Amino acid sequence: MNFTEHTKIREEKFGTVVFDTLTEKIFITDQIGGDILRLIEQGKDLPVILSVLHDNYDGDEQNVEKDVVEFIDQLKSSNIVSV
Amino acid sequence: MDVVAEDKNLSRLTNPGPDDQLRAILKGSSFDDYNSPLFIAWQLNSACNLGCLHCCEEAGHSMPDEMTKEQALDFCEQIAELNIPYMAISGGEPLLCPHFFDVCESIRSHNISLKIETNGEFIDEKTALKLTDLKLRSVQISLDGATAETHERLRVEGDWDKAIQACKYLVKNGGNTEIVFVPTKFNIHEVGDVIDLAYSLGSYGVYTGKIMRIGRAAKNWDILSPSAEEYEKFFDVLKEKTAAYEGKMKVYYYPYDVIEELKYRLECPSASLLVVPNGKVKLIGPLPFICGDLKKESLSQIWGNYKKAWQNPEVIEFTKKVIAEPKLLAESNNWRQI
Repeated sequence: MNFTEHTKIREEKFGTVVFDTLTEKIFITDQIGGDILRLIEQGKDLPVILSVLHDNYDGDEQNVEKDVVEFIDQLKSSNIVSV
Repeated sequence: MDVVAEDKNLSRLTNPGPDDQLRAILKGSSFDDYNSPLFIAWQLNSACNLGCLHCCEEAGHSMPDEMTKEQALDFCEQIAELNIPYMAISGGEPLLCPHFFDVCESIRSHNISLKIETNGEFIDEKTALKLTDLKLRSVQISLDGATAETHERLRVEGDWDKAIQACKYLVKNGGNTEIVFVPTKFNIHEVGDVIDLAYSLGSYGVYTGKIMRIGRAAKNWDILSPSAEEYEKFFDVLKEKTAAYEGKMKVYYYPYDVIEELKYRLECPSASLLVVPNGKVKLIGPLPFICGDLKKESLSQIWGNYKKAWQNPEVIEFTKKVIAEPKLLAESNNWRQI
């Protein structure tokens, strides 16, 4: 899983900004979304992302997995990441 | 902390402009919160081989005090230090700038997305290869007609064949190529044909929208500005072509004019800066205000100036005057320091 070629991310005090410079669309995520994006940037795959989030945040494992998969699906459908 | 799905939803934040959906999303957030701009538009030089009747920058001759190569490269380093993700280089005609490629290489070496806006007339096969090697976000070529006659009527001294050839060279080398079309009384009827032509050339997309009443376009407004009826047909064609090319080629159009943009920007300034060839930084294209000078101040300081400038009563008052009296847009290039 990687960012698409023209996608950039930047941390701001209010969250992480995701900028698809090809479509010139901007998105914003909260801290957890930002964590996921940074892990994707580091080339981590889904099991590693889930493991890191599970270690860092409280929450039921199944719900965490469901939320992360949902979030990554959004990233894919917005052409921010490709597999 | 729990993982809450609704908090992780992606939301469109600032793009593209004054629509209601966007206003709702932006409620409670501000450009003021950004550490640095998200986008920089850089008019690298003022020299141009053409004398387009609608040129926003009134380009032609070089300015005597344009940034040197060293100053331009120092600016590139500052852009990288501030982690600015995206920029556009235009002119004048940017390929006439002797350090054009040095600047592009510097920007790309920091993996910043870069778009080049050009008339295409200096892009031969070798230059096209050099540009595509830079892995640019895109090269945008101005094509103001589906025929040489129309294009060259608006783009005085222009050469339609060269612009078309530039697109072919770029596409052949795998470059992401976009066409920009500015509608005027002279060419608005050709928009559909320009879009078809762009597709046949293998372009990634076509950009268009209402002509901006800035610079030379403001001075030639009475002969250039399309009528409301012409715009109605224009947008109908755009809707039809957008649907026809869905999934094949992007057709982008911005439905708002400069006045609507200014009304919106008074409330929601964008997280972007406009740098002119001598290193001065404009608040926004349609207004004459300068909020910084890269020869004297750092980019970071200028970003601070920019944020304050939008609260300046002089700026607010003048912007309101322009909104009430659009003829004042002709002053956009009579720069005023604030």
